[in-house]
Amino acid sequence: MKVRDLLLKVIDHPATPYVVLGVISLFMVSPFIWMVLSAFKTLPETFMSPPTYFPKDFTLETMRFTWFEAPIPTYLKNSLIACLTATVIIVVASVFTAYALSQYPYQGSNLILGLFLFTRTIPPLAMLLPYYLIMRKLGLLNTRLAVILYLIYLSYPLVVWLLKGFFDAFPRDLIDAAIVDGCTRTGTIFRVVLPITAGSVGAISVVAFLWAWNEFFAPYLFIHYDELKPITVGLYYFVGDEVTYWNRMCAAGIYAVVPSLTFFLLAQKYIIKGLTEGALKY
Amino acid sequence: MRRTRQISNASYGMLLSIPGLVLLLAWVLLPLIYVIGLSFYRYDNMSPVVFAGFDNYKRVLSNPDFPRILQRTFVFSFGSTGLTLVTSVLLAACLGRIGKGSALFRSLVVMPWAVPLILSGFLWAWMFHPSFGPISDLLMRSGIRKTALNIYEDPISSMLGVIIADAWRRIPFLTIITLAAFQAILEELYDAARVDGADSIDSFIHITLPLSSRPIMIGTLITLMFTFRSIDVIYSMTPGGGYTKSTYVIGTYLFDSLYEFLNFGVAAAISVILVLLTFIIGSVFIYYTLQKR
Repeated sequence: MKVRDLLLKVIDHPATPYVVLGVISLFMVSPFIWMVLSAFKTLPETFMSPPTYFPKDFTLETMRFTWFEAPIPTYLKNSLIACLTATVIIVVASVFTAYALSQYPYQGSNLILGLFLFTRTIPPLAMLLPYYLIMRKLGLLNTRLAVILYLIYLSYPLVVWLLKGFFDAFPRDLIDAAIVDGCTRTGTIFRVVLPITAGSVGAISVVAFLWAWNEFFAPYLFIHYDELKPITVGLYYFVGDEVTYWNRMCAAGIYAVVPSLTFFLLAQKYIIKGLTEGALKY
Repeated sequence: MRRTRQISNASYGMLLSIPGLVLLLAWVLLPLIYVIGLSFYRYDNMSPVVFAGFDNYKRVLSNPDFPRILQRTFVFSFGSTGLTLVTSVLLAACLGRIGKGSALFRSLVVMPWAVPLILSGFLWAWMFHPSFGPISDLLMRSGIRKTALNIYEDPISSMLGVIIADAWRRIPFLTIITLAAFQAILEELYDAARVDGADSIDSFIHITLPLSSRPIMIGTLITLMFTFRSIDVIYSMTPGGGYTKSTYVIGTYLFDSLYEFLNFGVAAAISVILVLLTFIIGSVFIYYTLQKR
């Protein structure tokens, strides 16, 4: 019983959660810190042993070089175009399906719901091959369209499922009231449901966007022209045969993370809400 | 006042879901059927494509390395998921207890979510570097280790390295799910338990965990499925499967067959095996998800 009392004393101490959170947070942010610090080092300094922590010769040259002389802006533009297009298509197609599955169930809709759930379990890696061959047959290799089409597959089932769970939490009374007031069923979607759920639909879109933003293998396989590569594939630009330009990689990493991190932190509140409502409460 | 309903609600729902269903059929299920079909053909970009029955499967399953590849896949997947689960529960429990600073800590903890897995592999590879990375250096400075930690020349620690790097990126998702599950529990239950003389360990074991087990279970299964098939971190951190192929998993095998050896028939067979294996985890996930409380 003595061990337990001691344990309780530690657990119940008000400082304990702060200590635990401090330690784990340090673990969670350490790669960010290392990335930012390394981006301001010179190349020789990144190969010092033992390593330096704060840049000895602080330089902005790497940040300048990666932006102006390496194709980072092009990579970012490619990522943005592909991810935004795919996200818009997915969300527009999914909203209606998810809404129908949630509010207007029909014969077989449960089966379809199960089918969506099943497709969520299909490993995207296993679908690389069919997509590669389909794109090759359609002559779409080395085009942005190939990547966009794959990105649609990637998060589509997830988005439908999250949205469905989310619409389930929508008060049915509001829909009925709008219909009694003379609104059509379709009008209700645009005038009542979407305006109210905009925040969460937006959050789910951000999740889909982030998923697309992080995708590496499909564009790596489909795209061989530098001017069409997204940022994840572009990071390989700094891995050389002889030497990896770690400082440039870290600078490029900062550019790669800033857009997604900004999106994410801005929508964080909604993401947490949308995810928990959509993923768990059905 | 009410417009006449030409079609019933059910037909309306069916009509409304058509675009989504077309996308599902054309964009998810057809490629799946296509890859299953491909797995029965000899398709290696050298000889003409011919029907080969189960030849590709035989080739994959009789590969002397296959049992080890499978074993590594499970070690990686369960290792990463386990680390993610423990850390997430710990984080959620602490986040739920503090008032001041909880928003700040939550933002810090979920930041890795916005980092592409491939980049997280690169960053951790650099951090784990035996001579130029900070981890080995800190371990030596603090006296925990006398010699440099070389995760790339020791199979066990290289597996540990990819597990840490992978879990790092997955912790935010499960933390959020777990935190939401914890917060959905009514405060009165804890009050009642306290009146009955329960301490915080009792409350956690008898109230918090049982009442949040279902969402945590679903979140864990999602994480498990993702780790099982994701090779981004492994690919960028230990190229080619690492020293003595200690991190060569089924996903790497699939990608190599497709990208290095251009043997599409074999790659298709591995894809189907991967789908089937994931489906074992997936069916537990589906069962828990559809189960009514």
